[in-house]
Amino acid sequence: MSLQLDTLAYTNKLREIPPEHKLVFAIVTLAISLFTHPLVQILTALWMGVWTVVYARIPAGIYLKLLIFASFFWLTSLPALILNAVSINDLQKVLSDAWSGIILGQYYIYISRSGSEQTLAIFTRALASVSCLYFLMLTVPFTDILQILRRLGCPILLTELLLLMYRFIFILLKTASELWTAQQSRDGYRTWRASMRSLAILIGQLLKQTLKQYNQFSLGLEARGFRDEFRVWHPRRYRPSQRYLTEAIFGCAVLILLELCRNAGIFNRI
Amino acid sequence: MQEFLIEFDQVYYTYPGSQQSALNGLTIKIPSGQKCALIGQNGCGKTTLFLLANGLYKPDSGTIRWRSEPLRYTRNYLSKLRQKVGLIFQDPEQQLVASTVEEDISYGLCNLGLPAAEIKIRVEQALVEFELLSLAQRPVHHLSLGQKKRVSIADMMVLEPELLMLDEPTAYLDIKQTRNLMAILKKIHSHGTTLLMATHDLNLVYKWADWVFVMDRGKIVLEGKPQDVFTERKILEELELGVPLMYEIFCGNFSSEEKAVAQRLQKRMLELYL
Repeated sequence: MSLQLDTLAYTNKLREIPPEHKLVFAIVTLAISLFTHPLVQILTALWMGVWTVVYARIPAGIYLKLLIFASFFWLTSLPALILNAVSINDLQKVLSDAWSGIILGQYYIYISRSGSEQTLAIFTRALASVSCLYFLMLTVPFTDILQILRRLGCPILLTELLLLMYRFIFILLKTASELWTAQQSRDGYRTWRASMRSLAILIGQLLKQTLKQYNQFSLGLEARGFRDEFRVWHPRRYRPSQRYLTEAIFGCAVLILLELCRNAGIFNRI
Repeated sequence: MQEFLIEFDQVYYTYPGSQQSALNGLTIKIPSGQKCALIGQNGCGKTTLFLLANGLYKPDSGTIRWRSEPLRYTRNYLSKLRQKVGLIFQDPEQQLVASTVEEDISYGLCNLGLPAAEIKIRVEQALVEFELLSLAQRPVHHLSLGQKKRVSIADMMVLEPELLMLDEPTAYLDIKQTRNLMAILKKIHSHGTTLLMATHDLNLVYKWADWVFVMDRGKIVLEGKPQDVFTERKILEELELGVPLMYEIFCGNFSSEEKAVAQRLQKRMLELYL
């Protein structure tokens, strides 16, 4: 899955737009979705969806899967927010807040009205912000983000670490999946006991392989003349697009305006 | 007069923690401008030889010379040496360090501290020369093994080394990829780079190499032109290396008239094969 996402980031239709533009755009929309009301948030989420699926041509299926994946986290926090329990003595105090409830021993367990509203607000906010981040993740390759960090004067140690992590994570994934396949082909996951044993071996082997890999990698680095610092040259082949720039600025302005109007409306009512 | 690039003189090396020494008084001279092949069983010390020649390991005893001058194990000297002596590991994964192909090719140049303009020119040249232009912006973990191999060769050749050492470059490659690789090596050699290749493919050695070294248990036991080396059938059989199939067929014990036909056939075969 992670390799697939990585491939998409390298091959999407917005690849040629300067990464700084996409980064700023994602940050601005993220800020909007954090500070506004549900209506504007839903609009933001839809708009970002259009950017990702229509403009960047990320397959809708994958995008949807990712959104469902994020919603899963929201679902897990659902019970804690909606369900409330009070002692029977306090029943009168919460009656106005309860949608429905049951008495269980000494406790009254009920579905909270304000909790439900809160859950909905969290959902729209999460959806909006996650679609902004997905836009960034799916349209900007990691190396481009590193390049921005370097140019912003991020400490070299940090960018090097990120780069090596990025490079190694795929080697690690490959090694793990190779080991996994080898074990599968020898029926290593037939029973629960066998699975546990195989998994233990896999993890142990992975550590061993990692150490070996590290040793070889440092030889490889030295053979290529490594000197203290890890530097590469990065060509710039980006083309800013007037059309996308206009839409981005105009869209953000509309969203902010909508939010302001809403606020003004609320003030009038008060 | 034949010049030599790298010379090993009675070199011993034992890996830390190992009982057996990997190199046992190895003496070898790599002739300049030649296509050299290094054959020998697994574990006979071929890779160790490469690592020592690149200054990555220091010999326990004996001397290694680059153009008749003993290696010095100082940072500056070694970094200059590694620029002249390129080493391609068997597993390209070990050498590809940056995240995209063009970044990876630029890595060695950045280490030399060249100005950005020159790096740009040289990276672009290398991309064209090794037919990597269409892959330039791809992350290295998206490439196939043959492509990774090509990138790792481009990585080294962009530094314009005088000697290029390849550790079993055809391992795991299919026939097409092997042919591409040999075409690349031909081009590299024609530009004046000396080549040293470790391999198990005797047919490849027979048709490709100018000079063959046979290694066994950390020593050179035989060296010479391929035709001469492969006449030492007895030694090669003792080492369980064998001789190339083509040699087997055409250089057996023939009567004089058979010999003439065999030689003609061999010539035809070689032309076809190449």
